[in-house]
Amino acid sequence: MMVRYKMHNSFGFKSLAAMLLLLILSSSTSYRASAETTMHTNNWAVLVCTSRFWFNYRHMANTLSLYRTVKRLGIPDERIILMLADDMACNARNKYPAQVFNNENHKLNLYGDNVEVDYRGYEVTVENFLRVLTGRHEAAVPRSKRLLSDEGSHILLYMTGHGGDEFLKFQDSEELQSHDLADAVKQMKEKHRFKELLIMVDTCQAATLFSQLHSLGVLAIGSSMKGENSYSHHLDSDVGVSVVDRFTFYTLAFFEKLNMYDNASLSSLFTSYNPTLLMSTAYYRTDLYQRKLEEVPVTNFFGSVMETIHTDSAYRTTFSRKTSETIMPLQQSVEHDESRQLINSNVQDQTSDTKIEDKQCPFTRRWNAFQDKLEKIERIDSLVNYGLIIMFPLLLISTWLSR
Amino acid sequence: MSEISPEVPDNRQDAPSHVDPNSTRITKPGVKRLVLTLSVLFSLVLGFPFLWKSVEIYRSSLPFGEISEMESNPSLSFPCRFQAVFINFNSNPSPNHLQLSILDKITELTSNSSQCGACANDLALSVTVDSISSCTQTHPTDNSNYYRCGAISAVDFDFSNDDDDGVDELLESVLGVKNVYSVVVVNGGGEGIRAVVGKYRHAWIVGSVEEEEEESVLVSRVAEIFVKMFVNGGTENGLIHGEFMPVGADRRIVLSFNLLNAEPNDWVYDWDFQRVDETLLAPIIKVLGPIANISVESQVLYHTPKSSFSYWDEKWKSYIFSTKDLPFFVNSNEWHLDTSIAAGGRSKILQFVVYVPSAKECPLSLLLPTGEISKTNGFISPMWGGVVVWNPPGCLNSETNHPSRHTMSREDLQAVFEVFMGQFRQLFGLKSNNLYIGASGTYHLLPSGKGFTEWELDVLSRQFACFNLHSCATTLGSLSRLVQSLPRMIIMDEIGKLVQFSLEAAKLAQSNASLGDNESSAGQARSLAEDAFFHPSIMSISYYSFEHCFAIYSPFFLPVSMHVLLAALREWKRYKQEKAKYTAWKAKVKVES
Repeated sequence: MMVRYKMHNSFGFKSLAAMLLLLILSSSTSYRASAETTMHTNNWAVLVCTSRFWFNYRHMANTLSLYRTVKRLGIPDERIILMLADDMACNARNKYPAQVFNNENHKLNLYGDNVEVDYRGYEVTVENFLRVLTGRHEAAVPRSKRLLSDEGSHILLYMTGHGGDEFLKFQDSEELQSHDLADAVKQMKEKHRFKELLIMVDTCQAATLFSQLHSLGVLAIGSSMKGENSYSHHLDSDVGVSVVDRFTFYTLAFFEKLNMYDNASLSSLFTSYNPTLLMSTAYYRTDLYQRKLEEVPVTNFFGSVMETIHTDSAYRTTFSRKTSETIMPLQQSVEHDESRQLINSNVQDQTSDTKIEDKQCPFTRRWNAFQDKLEKIERIDSLVNYGLIIMFPLLLISTWLSR
Repeated sequence: MSEISPEVPDNRQDAPSHVDPNSTRITKPGVKRLVLTLSVLFSLVLGFPFLWKSVEIYRSSLPFGEISEMESNPSLSFPCRFQAVFINFNSNPSPNHLQLSILDKITELTSNSSQCGACANDLALSVTVDSISSCTQTHPTDNSNYYRCGAISAVDFDFSNDDDDGVDELLESVLGVKNVYSVVVVNGGGEGIRAVVGKYRHAWIVGSVEEEEEESVLVSRVAEIFVKMFVNGGTENGLIHGEFMPVGADRRIVLSFNLLNAEPNDWVYDWDFQRVDETLLAPIIKVLGPIANISVESQVLYHTPKSSFSYWDEKWKSYIFSTKDLPFFVNSNEWHLDTSIAAGGRSKILQFVVYVPSAKECPLSLLLPTGEISKTNGFISPMWGGVVVWNPPGCLNSETNHPSRHTMSREDLQAVFEVFMGQFRQLFGLKSNNLYIGASGTYHLLPSGKGFTEWELDVLSRQFACFNLHSCATTLGSLSRLVQSLPRMIIMDEIGKLVQFSLEAAKLAQSNASLGDNESSAGQARSLAEDAFFHPSIMSISYYSFEHCFAIYSPFFLPVSMHVLLAALREWKRYKQEKAKYTAWKAKVKVES
């Protein structure tokens, strides 16, 4: 809970200030205590490319390069949500069909093997993005499209595209405002959907996008500050467009030197950005993040960490001695299986439906019965037609009567 | 038909010729037009409140007060009923004295932990001293469930051989009551003190004790069994956090069993999973029914190498990987484990992997930091699942160059599933071995064929109820804060109903817990609260802002209302003018006449 410091002109100002200070201290210490007790369980990555069309090739190349890096360092596809417009590789203007490069030397084909895009094309909208972050999907959305993080997850959120002062443009038709993003992060924090969150933004005026964040445990870095643009790195004269942005290029250069076992720290990553080379100032905010950046390894967000505990012994029971003697008759076991399966399929129903039915008032019940009856009438179209036809004579009669 | 005002030639002829129509008029001004325009204006104004009400944002009312009350106190208090029976103590200690010392010890042990489920408030202990000559009891409040004198005697405990299971069954037939935990202390037998915790809800301590000072040792052991075993489940710390609660928000767990062949060119192994499912897994799933709804899937995968490295060790004659390699063992790029179709969006999936190494790395053993080789060759990752490395028999000496298909033998499968059972227990926060080393001594825990003993199931269901209630309270609190911070967001009826049902289920869980009844209301409360919080209609960008409302309705009403207002004003002004003219003429006439 944020405690805002209010100016009071009344007496007792000092005591109020002292109380506020105590409150701030206690809330921060209590948070610290709870954050330390949850253990880091897994890492997630949400990579979003918000542009489409051929001339925004570099944004898709940015996102795919980061996807490749994050996979190489160990995060599996099931914990990566990739949102791309995905219209570069098979674009009619692509001289190298089904290939996407991030460098003019064409050494690395980013679209080569095993790219799993979760939201593609017109599914990349602000609404879907916020649904992914907050977890509010329709019931039918499959698991691969959901962010199934828990309270021990560290999430990397990377966004690239065209942006401006306090907004990010989505697919040339919508905007994501900075207060919407801050709102979504606040809701994630309330529901304990992450332990730590790293936001990387590579757009023009990127630092304004996370200016409204208030939740603790969030670290954010943007490629440029307010009023500055972020530039592309180089133009590939063969493909015909710029193929990578500067900020992402230098980020990838940093990671190409790492492998899974390394532990370079986050501060070395953040300080490796040279403003002259980037042609903008890479700004990061650490005021919401409690740990010191020198102590945090990059694999905290970019790699895959599994907490492991050795199993001391097997759980041997006397039952094990008996199985060699008797085997349950097959019939009985099959029935048991079926009954288990049967039970399972019924449980899929929503509990809320049955609950709501029990508690309806008489009017609603009668209305529902009436609606059910209506649905059972087969030739409802002809009934409606009859009604319309009867209207004409009624109209004639009424006009004749009112003469 | 239009009306023409009648001619008034008389007045015209009589009136003086200097009547100025701009400043005077002879007839009273008409009010029809004024009345018409004013009535239209009035009806517009009258309809405005109805319009305002109809464009109001529909917000189902949530019980914010109740939610904050629940959030401040999401605790469950369970009653604890213990009894201790001392058999064959010829020194005849007084039961009341024993009761007091045991209670002291219990409060000492529970004082430093204030977790949910501890017996802080409601603790009852009954002590019976039964020997051949006499039987004395402390008097508990309700006598029905407690021990009857003479039901057990020392001869039932056959001290020569350790037939723990037989003793367990016997005690169960005598003592078996729900909700009462018992410890039977028997004087007799060989040297030393041996303590065993059974599969049901009782434990026994056998030892030869004659002196008085050893009585305090027994008292502390009895108290330790009560607190550390029956209340805490054999674990050290309270577990309200979600760390060891591998149950999804919809109370479902999917167990996914995977057999991984790292290099199918060397050998391919298959398993008879159906049989294992029927014989070993079915009783466990049934027993965990009240806690979670479990479903089981299995698959066999090929070409799944691991991503860490191992080296040959001559001493152990096998390839070694150490505990430092464990975090990198699971190669998520090649192991496509999460292909479940049965799991919904909010279920929890636990992966159990049997890894069959390739010929280049076989046999593969895990070296512990203590320098020993692991007996189980397996490890878990909390909230993810467990891995067991199984080496095909005779792989060191095999010289197969062609791929061969085998099926895992029944004994091997049995052994692997025993390790899985241990890992499953570890994932729930219980220990996988059968020995507990406490402050006062070691205790043997009897293993149960269903995977969990009854007292362990009690501990689990209490912990789950606590966790579910806590989670429900925090979810509802977050929802109420969210709803209050967005005053223009639509809240559908369904959300209001879900919140209401969730609160009712939570209250029911609280009242049932204090009666000692353990059922699944807390789980329902949590899943209803999560349904409410994660309802897809709560999207902050779609709330109905004032600009939106204005932009929709102003093209309808603004032009019309402007015209009506102007017309009314104009008519009013005209009426006033004409009225002034008429009164001026009347005054003039009066003056003249």
